[in-house]
Amino acid sequence: MNDVAPVTRTISQEQLRAYADASGDHNPIHVDEEYARTTPFGGTIAHGMLVAALIGEMMYAAHDAAWSENGQMRIRFKAPTRPGDTVTASADPPASRDGGRLEYAVRCTDQRGDVLIEGRASVTVGDR
Amino acid sequence: MASTARTDIFTLPRGHEFAPAPLAITPAQVHAYLRAVGDPSDYGDTVPPLALVALALQALQEQFVLPPGTLHSGQEVEHAGVAEAGEELTLRGRIAQRSERQGVVLCSVEYEIARGEETVIRAKSTVVTAGAAS
Repeated sequence: MNDVAPVTRTISQEQLRAYADASGDHNPIHVDEEYARTTPFGGTIAHGMLVAALIGEMMYAAHDAAWSENGQMRIRFKAPTRPGDTVTASADPPASRDGGRLEYAVRCTDQRGDVLIEGRASVTVGDR
Repeated sequence: MASTARTDIFTLPRGHEFAPAPLAITPAQVHAYLRAVGDPSDYGDTVPPLALVALALQALQEQFVLPPGTLHSGQEVEHAGVAEAGEELTLRGRIAQRSERQGVVLCSVEYEIARGEETVIRAKSTVVTAGAAS
């Protein structure tokens, strides 16, 4: 049984600007379209932590306060997310429930199925 | 080895320690973060863990500069407690790793957010210079 439901969201340039303001990360690769066109990416890309936030949202929705209290996440950013991409955060069913600690393989993929982020997340929950 | 000057992070050596800094995330900052990421969850009066990590990284950048085009290549987060919006925390960080290969520099910053002596979050962010695959 998988107790973690996927979260899907389409990323916009407006969202990148809002995240830059909220996080203080105004790296031009995220917010300056003219600059970003001169880079190997050919345009702006999303902040990695903006995309990773979908994993946090997904885990919090599944485990509520336990995620905030003792969750762990280890991820790698594998490919850029561009404005207009529709990103889905998902988790495999937990590989381990030893001692109440649930271990998940997690990822974010785009609308083509390309992996943008992958890694592991874990959380200890009661009554499991 | 602590310092307060802002320096290009990729020039800092492994082991460099940043000066401890106060950190307090306001309810308005939490609201702006949740609106930006589109997270509709109700976190009550608490700070979502990844908001705390993102804003801690911003606070650390009072002491270093990420050059334009810097890419985030990895992130580790370990929650040890919950922070409430507005509470006074302390942020400590250091350069945990620095390596260079074929002109691409990789740097990992380890940091800890604490309430007094009690750790709330431990995190490690790894960044690379522009030009590397993200």
